[in-house]
Amino acid sequence: MPTQPITANKDFNERQIKRIFYRRLGIAIWVSFLVAAVQSVVFFAQFDPAYLNEIASITISIGRWQGYALGFVFFWGFNFITGLFCGVIMAMPRTKLAQRTAHK
Amino acid sequence: MSTNETKPVELKLYKAHEKVYPRETKGRFQFKRKLAVFVLLGLFYFLPWLDWGGHQAVLFDLPARRFYIFGITLWPQDFIFLALMLIIAAFSLFFFTALAGRLWCGFACPQTVWTEVFIWMEQLTEGNRNKRMKLDKGPWNFNKIWRKTAKQAMWITFALWTGFTFVGFFTPIKELAVGVWTWNLGPWETFWMFFYGFATYGNAGFLREQVCLYMCPYARFQGAMFDKETLIISYDVARGEPRMRGKTRREAENPGDCIDCTMCVQVCPTGIDIRDGLQYECIACAACIDACDEVMETVGLPKGLIRYTTENSLAGKESRVFRPRIIIYGIILTLLLSAFGYALFSRSTIDANVIPDRNSFYRIVDAKRIENVYNLKIMNKGPVTAQYQVTATGLDGLKVDFETEDGLTAEPGELISVPIRIRADRAVANKKIHTIKVIVNEVDNPNNSSTETVKYFGYDK
Ligand code: SF4
Ligand code: SF4
Repeated sequence: MPTQPITANKDFNERQIKRIFYRRLGIAIWVSFLVAAVQSVVFFAQFDPAYLNEIASITISIGRWQGYALGFVFFWGFNFITGLFCGVIMAMPRTKLAQRTAHK
Repeated sequence: MSTNETKPVELKLYKAHEKVYPRETKGRFQFKRKLAVFVLLGLFYFLPWLDWGGHQAVLFDLPARRFYIFGITLWPQDFIFLALMLIIAAFSLFFFTALAGRLWCGFACPQTVWTEVFIWMEQLTEGNRNKRMKLDKGPWNFNKIWRKTAKQAMWITFALWTGFTFVGFFTPIKELAVGVWTWNLGPWETFWMFFYGFATYGNAGFLREQVCLYMCPYARFQGAMFDKETLIISYDVARGEPRMRGKTRREAENPGDCIDCTMCVQVCPTGIDIRDGLQYECIACAACIDACDEVMETVGLPKGLIRYTTENSLAGKESRVFRPRIIIYGIILTLLLSAFGYALFSRSTIDANVIPDRNSFYRIVDAKRIENVYNLKIMNKGPVTAQYQVTATGLDGLKVDFETEDGLTAEPGELISVPIRIRADRAVANKKIHTIKVIVNEVDNPNNSSTETVKYFGYDK
């Protein structure tokens, strides 16, 4: 997606900024999902959630299925935050700039 | 705003999505694609129902942390095979992409394969391309309602069956079927069934080419594996242009071979015109080749106006498909595959661990002998119950002793733990520390063994 024309285009409007934001949100959700799937496979091939539960400092007991699911959600969440930060830091100043200069 | 230059231009960051109505095609490539659909989906839907040696032939039993793949049982300790398999998959992708572009996309990707089936159902209920377009434009009359309902019913049933089959790879499918029948499913099974079913429905029914365009990571980096000798699907510009049709064509002196019938555009599932050159959207499904070949045959021109060819040969240069890159990738891939096969079939199904008893160095047995005590752990990674024997080497006259009631026997997946004593002559074990090997092997199949190296404390007084 070209980011350069955003600043150049004066008619760049609110709606488009929103769409960019939602698109980046979607990308972050999707990519973190994919990566979380790979991470879960690699991680749980090495570590047994039941064993991790035994040695963990928290005392709630969780089964293997819950362990896998929690692990996956955990990875997904963290990857999502990473992705979102990347997206926000990469894009926001430019879109704001575009917003400010929109009706000069 | 007097001139064109100062006019604000509407910048299209996103193309409004237009629904693609692919036209049905027949031909040699479409035949191969159908074959791929039948083989791949056939395997997917059939495999979970197959039994092998008393268990489901292919079952990824996550709660028990073991994978059955026909006669092979894999445990978390066999992680290396998973890693190897991923490396092999990556290399095959390099190899095939360098050889002939997006073969994977056109023939084997689940996205394409399931989309094919969904489109087939769409054709069955809503008719061919023209009928479908008309139906979508037309009013919601009885005809439209029942056709759309029939399509949705087929799609949803198929998607749910797909979700069910998917979960059947992780939970024994026959138990799952009973669970579904008696309305008695665990929350995970239910969730995954609907999740996977819904994903299939959405991806193959609605998103289709958009998955390839916007979501697929492979589509983004495959271009990096192309070179000028990669077989790609392209339109022969030199031969086809100037394209003309109808009257212009009849009156023209030297028309190109393209009769501008736009068949190649109509059949394209991603809705592009291959005549504009190789595009990122093209998933190499070869539908346009088949369509154009048919047209060429009808008008009596040679086939292959659109064909698999390389950039170099299109440019009139000499072209060599079997270039060093392909050969090197091929060799690496063959080596990896053989290593994988060898490692898999020669792997030991015994996972043995020998842990020294921490409380003592050695014990004096009598005036002549000493002993070291260890804890032996054996896990049976094989598919059947097995009996084991233990020997030790590294010093002359080592003797292994243990006390169990029924010998060392373990069921599949069982972990047994026994204290063992290894005796040696004081005269032989006369250094402070020796290194010995403890060998565990199966009684019925002595070649299946596992060797552990451990320290042995000697009598150095
Ligand atoms: S251009 Fe041809 S090969 Fe590429 S996606 Fe369209 S029909 Fe398939
Ligand atoms: S199908 Fe062949 S003849 Fe028809 S428009 Fe396409 S390239 Fe031209």
